[in-house]
Amino acid sequence: MDQPVNRTEQLQEQLKIVKAESPWKIAIRRFARNRLAVIGLVILVIMSLICVFGPLFSPYTINETDVSNKNQAPNADYWLGTDKLGRDILLRVMLAGRISLTVGLVATAISVAIGATLGAVAGFYRKYADTIIMRIADIFLALPTLPILITLGAILSDLKVEPGKRIYFLMLIIGLLGWVSLARLVRSQILTLREQEFMQATEALGLRDNRKIFRHLMPNTIPIIIVSATLGVAGAIITESTLSFLGLGVVPPTPSWGNMITAANNLIDFRKRPWLWIPPGLCILITVTAINLIGDGLRDALDPKMKNR
Amino acid sequence: MSQYIIRRLLQMIPTLIGISIIVFAISQMVPGDYITASQNPNMTAERADQLRAIYGLDKPPVQQYFIWVKNMLTGNLGDSFQHKMPVTEVINTYVWNSFIIAFVTMILSWTIAAFVGVFSAQFQYSFFDKVVTLLVFLLMSLPSFFIGLLAIKYIALDLKLFPTGGMTTAGLNAGGFAYIKDVVEHMFLPVVVMTTLTVGGLTRYFRTGMLEVIRQDYIRTARAKGLQERTVIFKHAFRNALLPAITLLGFELPGLFGGAMILERVFAWPGIGQIYLASINMRDYPLMLGFTMFLAVLTLLGNLISDILYGVADPRIRLK
Amino acid sequence: MKKRLSLMLVTLMAFGSILAACGGGEEAAPADNGTDSAVTTPAESGEDAAGETPAEGADSESAIGLTEATDMTMNPPGAVNRTDSMIIGTVAPQGVFNPLFHQTAYDFAIDDNLFSSLIKVKADGTYENDMADKIDISDDNKTYTFHIRDDAKFSDGTPVTANDYLFTMKLYMDASYDGQSDPLSWNVVGANEYNKGTAKDISGIKVVDDKTVEITVSDYDAMTQVNLGAVAPLPEAYYGKGYKQGDLTSVKQLNAKPVGSGPYKLKSYSAGQEVDLVANEHYYGGVAKIPNVIFKVTTDTTNMAMLQSGETDLDNVTVNEDNVEELKSMGFLDVNVLKNNGYGYVAMNNKNPLFSDVKVRQALTYGLNRAEVVEAAYGPYAEVINIPQSDVSWAYTADKINTYDYNPDEAKKLLDEAGWTVGSDGIREKDGKKFEINFSATADNPVVDALIPIMTENYQELGIKLVTETLDFNAIMEKKDRGDYDMFFAAWGLTPDPDTTVYITDGAQNNSGYSNPKVDELYAKGKKELDLDKRKEIYAEAYQQINADAPEILMYQRTNMLAINGRLDGWDISPYKEYQHSLSQVQAAQ
Repeated sequence: MDQPVNRTEQLQEQLKIVKAESPWKIAIRRFARNRLAVIGLVILVIMSLICVFGPLFSPYTINETDVSNKNQAPNADYWLGTDKLGRDILLRVMLAGRISLTVGLVATAISVAIGATLGAVAGFYRKYADTIIMRIADIFLALPTLPILITLGAILSDLKVEPGKRIYFLMLIIGLLGWVSLARLVRSQILTLREQEFMQATEALGLRDNRKIFRHLMPNTIPIIIVSATLGVAGAIITESTLSFLGLGVVPPTPSWGNMITAANNLIDFRKRPWLWIPPGLCILITVTAINLIGDGLRDALDPKMKNR
Repeated sequence: MSQYIIRRLLQMIPTLIGISIIVFAISQMVPGDYITASQNPNMTAERADQLRAIYGLDKPPVQQYFIWVKNMLTGNLGDSFQHKMPVTEVINTYVWNSFIIAFVTMILSWTIAAFVGVFSAQFQYSFFDKVVTLLVFLLMSLPSFFIGLLAIKYIALDLKLFPTGGMTTAGLNAGGFAYIKDVVEHMFLPVVVMTTLTVGGLTRYFRTGMLEVIRQDYIRTARAKGLQERTVIFKHAFRNALLPAITLLGFELPGLFGGAMILERVFAWPGIGQIYLASINMRDYPLMLGFTMFLAVLTLLGNLISDILYGVADPRIRLK
Repeated sequence: MKKRLSLMLVTLMAFGSILAACGGGEEAAPADNGTDSAVTTPAESGEDAAGETPAEGADSESAIGLTEATDMTMNPPGAVNRTDSMIIGTVAPQGVFNPLFHQTAYDFAIDDNLFSSLIKVKADGTYENDMADKIDISDDNKTYTFHIRDDAKFSDGTPVTANDYLFTMKLYMDASYDGQSDPLSWNVVGANEYNKGTAKDISGIKVVDDKTVEITVSDYDAMTQVNLGAVAPLPEAYYGKGYKQGDLTSVKQLNAKPVGSGPYKLKSYSAGQEVDLVANEHYYGGVAKIPNVIFKVTTDTTNMAMLQSGETDLDNVTVNEDNVEELKSMGFLDVNVLKNNGYGYVAMNNKNPLFSDVKVRQALTYGLNRAEVVEAAYGPYAEVINIPQSDVSWAYTADKINTYDYNPDEAKKLLDEAGWTVGSDGIREKDGKKFEINFSATADNPVVDALIPIMTENYQELGIKLVTETLDFNAIMEKKDRGDYDMFFAAWGLTPDPDTTVYITDGAQNNSGYSNPKVDELYAKGKKELDLDKRKEIYAEAYQQINADAPEILMYQRTNMLAINGRLDGWDISPYKEYQHSLSQVQAAQ
């Protein structure tokens, strides 16, 4: 969106920045001005509120099964229909949202934090730091995920960790397994960025390393981090459902969006009972879209190259 | 450059040793072994001991590890417990079936992603860009088996355009061209689904990479020089948007041989993914460990190749 | 690419759990219990093989059994025109075409048609002569003489001889034998010496003449005859070429190129895709009526579609109301719903003080609404069971069996009697200890989906706190082996013979730590008894004991479904006699 910009406005803008605002404030202001990003944020907040408070208004409870009411299409009693055990889909989707939103966001935050930091450090220092971090990354990539997860599930069970609390381990595990690709992506960007002119300037100014990395290099990698994060949120939400089978995630009957979709994994449900999979699928879609809108807004807000939007 | 490659290849040795130790340790920690996993209802304690002795599972773990490594160095990955034949033979039987669809998928998805990504970057926030973005998110929101079901339902069952599953028509005694045609027809659905799944994420990376570069000064300079837009985009900008792509390309190498577990199952494709998965579930250690190490080597090579390619794409990156 | 990684993870997980469910939670045994492992009953059985259960709910009567095709005009032309061949949908075989080594039921089904044994299973689960035309048993039940049919030949035209039988037994007794059978438990005289390499021959097996072989065992039981007779002789001339005692490598190398004496021979095999068989013109039982059989790999996503389009003639389809309705609506399929040889149960750790009191175990059985769980999971296609035996078995009894119908009041009463009183927080306690149960189950299983919520609610009503987790099947089994568990859900496969170690003290399969000297004695007696009527009485008594002791909560016996294109006739299928045993008898209807 290269809009022609009035020259004097631009100058005024820059003057204001210099005089009054910290970079964070600029970022917040830029973000707030990005209509789509704000919409994304509002959607996410509304979704979270519905998932947290919605179940309180539901006439049904989570353990309540009623086989005589199974597989009902949406109707006045069950707004989104019922599943094969006669449970209310609406209630389940809301309860599932609590789990899935938390898992998606926290797990992604963990892997982004680790991946971006390690990637930047490796790319910036190169030499030993690069060798060590990237070889560790190699090892992580080469490890067989499934046996590790089976083992972890068994260990948690032996330690008698309360099933309800295993969800925290789950987030940690998804986060820990997901950092490698982002680390390599960030590193590749840093490798080229550090050779550019503006970095020679920081060198000349005698800036400290962490300032070079976090203030000057990292902001340039934000776009790629955002793409990786949006893809990660969707991935984590779906991954959660399968980790549950190994004693690492939620325990049935606790629903999650992932396990609700997975439950409808045959052609007949797919064809005859769309209400089983459309609601959770739609929820994931909305979440992913909202996060991406926010991400685009953040990118524009934090991008040092975009001075006046 | 060649010095760098040699050093990296040498680094692979300790890395692989590390991986082999961790992988082996995991196999020791995973609950159960082949004898318990096979759930023979008539298994007596004596028979279980006999079998463990035959498979060498009764030896101390450290000894087992060194036997395994020693055999591996001579190219012997052992015999699969389930398949009763050498692991290398099992892998060789199935891996090429996986490779062929993964390879076609890679070519298709990278080509599509490059074009779509570049165009939606060039026309950011256009209708085209928005449709593509939404489609990408839609595909990300559904698990892979779901997309597979969708394809079977509409393309194979309703439209009857392509076969529902398998790699060949049952009882087909054709050779040569007719055989190839049959396989290509059977490949269609899995390839379409796998491409749909991979192309989404890739498109986002290409789009972002291009968006970044398009804003940079040298692109403005190129435009100011009066170069054609197409030249600007493909010769100058695209090349520099390649770095993330190269990173991702490195990850493709193990992916080409790793198989696609869910989709192979959905489409009854005789690939290695399902075999590998069964080896994990059945605790068929020789096959599980052997294939894991095979993938580990490919992973390391893939990352090495992408590191080398960085320097080709952007000569400013000096490999040391 | 993160997406890629996650997806890979997802695929791993989801499939993993499916397998875990099949391998463990659902049926803790391979389905191939026909010969190797199975146990015999020498005489006829009084029960009808496809018999219906006398006691259970009325709706299941109509749901189980064969529903014939209604409208053969709907049959797709592809299937109609395939007059000299049939295509059987199967889960991918592993390509181990050797009855000594095959591991899965799918290889087994193919091997059954490539190799034939001295005896074969009948529809009622008992055995009859096959390649042997006469079997003599000595008075002390320790010497078995098998007379091989004169016309028995391998598919290469060479005759089957007593030497081939001896050779095959050597392979079984070899020190490096790692197949599914447990040949040393057959007690053949001299087997251990051969196994250890101290003898070059098995002294207990005597080749009397070309067609007669005499086997002596050191100890006999009800299954000795089946163990010995179920051996399928392999041609020594072919398999013996590279064999050296103690090393079966050369034999295994021929797994993909089998030569046997079955009704069919292998034409081609492409891994993960299909197995093509062609009629063996030397088969002693008469050349197969349909000369070509193709085993085609299908999956649960595609198998119904392929039946519908006529691409396959027969397939196993998961039983549920949707699938049955779909298959019946196609009109040209015979839909056969058969009782599964197995049962699901909730194990209780009898050695754990929580469950050592029989009243507590009974209370937990009374207090669980099993009928609702089964209805929710399988609809009419499974039944609640009260003894650990299939109701189609000759050993089944409903006499003096408590059905433990759902009765929370009775359960509460029993818990009170056992000294567990309701505490201030509504949870029962005894000696200051809360009644809290840790329950493990494999996930992605229709029963578990229904069981966990219902069980949690039911036990809450009794004042018991249930803490549930879902785990990998092997992880549960390892907890079981260590005795570090309260309750878990699993299933057992049943062999045609009722002998088992599941309920005897410290038995190899005894998962619950249950011990009752009376039951031990009855099982020992039943194993040694050869008279069927006497065995029936013995096992009935054992089941009554087990039923009263409630060592575990028995849940259900489910069903399997076979869909067969109506153009094919001549099947003889029962829960014990799988479809593959009548392939060579089947013909295409006009």
